[in-house]
Amino acid sequence: MSTAATAATQALTQPATRANADSSAPIRIAVKDLNFYYGQFHGLKNVNLNFHDRQVTALIGPSGCGKSTLLRTFNRIYSLYPEQRAEGQILLDGANILDPRVDLNDLRARVGMVFQKPTPFPMSIYDNVAFGIRLYEKLPKAELDARVESSLRKAALWDEVKDKLKQSGMGLSGGQQQRLCIARTVAQRPEVILFDEPTSALDPISTGRIEELIEQLRNEFTIAIVTHNMQQAARISQFTAFMYLGELVEFGPTNRIFMNPEKRQTQDYITGRFG
Amino acid sequence: MTALTDQIALADSQRPALRRGPSKGADSLFRGAAYASAIIVLLVLTGIIGSIIYGGWPAFREFGFGFLTSSVWNVGTEQYGALVAVIGTLSSALLALVIGVPISLGIAIYLTQLCPGWARKPVGMAIELLAAVPSIIYGMWGLFIFAPLFARFVQVPVSNLVEGLPVVGTLLYARAPSGVGILTAGFILAIMIVPFVASIARDMLDQIPTILRESAYGIGCTTWEVMRHVLIPQASVSIIGAIMLGLGRALGETMAVTFVIGNANRLSASIFDPGSTIASRIANEFNEADGLQLNALMALGCILFVITFIVLIVARLLTRRVKVA
Amino acid sequence: MNAATPITPSVRQSRVRPSRRTADRMLRLACTLATVLGAVVLGSILLMLIVEGVRGLSPTLLTHPTPGPGTEGGGIANAILGSLVLTTIGIVVATPIGVMAGTFLAEYGRTSKLADVIRFLNDILLSAPSILIGLFVYTLMVRPMGTYSGWAGGVALAIIATPVIVRTTEDMLRLVPGTLREAGAALGAPPSTVIRSVTWRAASSGIVTGIILALARIAGETAPLLFTALNNNSWFNADLMGGVANLPVMIYQFALSPYPNWQQLAWAGALLITLAILALSVVARVVIKPQRAR
Repeated sequence: MSTAATAATQALTQPATRANADSSAPIRIAVKDLNFYYGQFHGLKNVNLNFHDRQVTALIGPSGCGKSTLLRTFNRIYSLYPEQRAEGQILLDGANILDPRVDLNDLRARVGMVFQKPTPFPMSIYDNVAFGIRLYEKLPKAELDARVESSLRKAALWDEVKDKLKQSGMGLSGGQQQRLCIARTVAQRPEVILFDEPTSALDPISTGRIEELIEQLRNEFTIAIVTHNMQQAARISQFTAFMYLGELVEFGPTNRIFMNPEKRQTQDYITGRFG
Repeated sequence: MTALTDQIALADSQRPALRRGPSKGADSLFRGAAYASAIIVLLVLTGIIGSIIYGGWPAFREFGFGFLTSSVWNVGTEQYGALVAVIGTLSSALLALVIGVPISLGIAIYLTQLCPGWARKPVGMAIELLAAVPSIIYGMWGLFIFAPLFARFVQVPVSNLVEGLPVVGTLLYARAPSGVGILTAGFILAIMIVPFVASIARDMLDQIPTILRESAYGIGCTTWEVMRHVLIPQASVSIIGAIMLGLGRALGETMAVTFVIGNANRLSASIFDPGSTIASRIANEFNEADGLQLNALMALGCILFVITFIVLIVARLLTRRVKVA
Repeated sequence: MNAATPITPSVRQSRVRPSRRTADRMLRLACTLATVLGAVVLGSILLMLIVEGVRGLSPTLLTHPTPGPGTEGGGIANAILGSLVLTTIGIVVATPIGVMAGTFLAEYGRTSKLADVIRFLNDILLSAPSILIGLFVYTLMVRPMGTYSGWAGGVALAIIATPVIVRTTEDMLRLVPGTLREAGAALGAPPSTVIRSVTWRAASSGIVTGIILALARIAGETAPLLFTALNNNSWFNADLMGGVANLPVMIYQFALSPYPNWQQLAWAGALLITLAILALSVVARVVIKPQRAR
């Protein structure tokens, strides 16, 4: 684990393609006094945190620290499970998405999500991408085609699938499937994209491609990523939030969190003394 | 010294004896019993096929291919044809699918997606208990509860409405609105296959990884869209397998159908009219039959077996493909 | 793209088209109605049985045999006893064959071609129309013996019960982890000992569930008994030759008879047999619970 931490700091000191944190960027998501419950279990405790426009924010911490839970509140996917509930405020561009009047379907189209494992739908590659668009926009065929193509290009998948758009999305390799899911999310033109350990099921080469992709997507989207891999957090994020036992321990620009953590727990975690 | 060698000799002679011991014999006996039991299953099925072919052969020989195409069933003149019963069997089973499959899927979707957690168990249990109710009870329910209501609230008004109209005027006209008939049999069969298909469909939907469901909701789908475009297609092969198994049941169901189908040997274009199925005819006539009539009933059994066999093979192939994947 | 100019999502305004929302509401409504329909049918069946069946209860119900045509009074004691005997024969014959065949499929024949064939045939037998099994046993036993008999009825029921037991036994044995077998074999126990004292024991509750389900299934079977055990208005002979009274066929014949007292007895019998079968099904599900939870 400590070698991993060394590698993480190395990733930081290397001449990075990664842009530096821009703390002056407008705030897209503001989390205020967020508490989360799984039935009786208190999963998140008084979390306060801001996500800046067109920045990648990484959520790190040991298993069970609540990083995925936090991510899953931003599109309220947790509300599929009646026993889970969130209290507090999450402001997306100033509007509280925890308001019961919020239309969940619409919210989820505005806040896209990519999951731990690739989840292609049982339909063609083209339809996988077009499906989400068709839900919310009625586009003429040519425009839809163009949108599908540009989304696949943004997901760095176009060249590999342009000749087999009618084939099933299930036939692609794992890494390709995950990029298809990214294309599907991008195609909806969301404001925020959530990545929940998007490379945990992929090999190192596919992982590298997804990381490059996230770096590019940052130019258009606000991104939050949960990762168990500290090197990954160091490589691709501008901001890092370290969580432990349901609490936000420390948040700040990634450089500072890794090079100069303020809290003892953060330091212990990134140097591999626990976790 | 001698004592020692004796001991060694003793040990040597004992060792293979221990290995071979009584357990070896018990072992092969056990294995043989398991093997024999499995062979019995094979023999029983071949026996069933053999006995109905043997019993039906005289009828096939007497009427040839005409047995399948003739709608005559006359005990007095000893003329027998399978057409009415075959059509009754197929049409009542197909009606059962048309009515039962949407209801089954609805129940499966309700139980997996919509039902509040506390109600999931009791409601699921109630649906499964429907599968346990004996078919003769469904027959009584169909004849004494459903048929009178059906005659009064469906057959009579619909017949009055469509009388004289082309196509529907024939298809949906009840000459004698008694409540029994092909459509009633279809309804009862539908109710009987619902718990069966619903419980398999529910298991299939439950087996789909949560993450796929979440990602469908995650791009802003409504429940309907999640089901229609993602979950049902994902489980489609095995759901079709379940439907085929349900069809197999509907084709061979005997007692419930015998109560409500009206047992008429008449080819009618109206689904409100009484008819008969292969199984209901066998149930009705077998005990009083002898000679050629008995052979004809056995031959009907053959046809029923062939039809259900094909359906079950298709079902089996579909469900198996899923298991391997 | 549009990220630079933040859209403020109004909580009141949604981009979800009304038609999508309507389709979703329709689905929810339709699915709920389908489930309500299922529950209503079950409820009305039970209600029908209770209303009509309780009316048919009489002091002589459990003590007297079924009456002859046009005879007043009587009970269904012979039919109940006959049903118990027939299902007992069925399950006693089916259990060893079914468990052993299931064991063969799961333990000895995992990869053999023969096992594949038998597994397939067993699935066919599991779903084969029960009336055809009646025809088979008629040809096999009733015709050669020249008389309907309790033995024939029992055999017919055994043929229906066997594939159920084979299937559940195999499925349950397959759930037993291979390491358990290896641990048994590592102690030097021969395969049959490992099966009997380790795998069977590990899968016992599942196998028992299969037997109870098979029992529930054959207890209500009517069609195969029509040509085998038939029915009888008197107590059966100890040798089980000749027609043997049983609940399902009695219900069938009496329910459609013109005599009011016969019809009442049919309802009482229907109530009893349904309650018994539902109770068995509930028990089977309670037994299987710990296995599912695992």
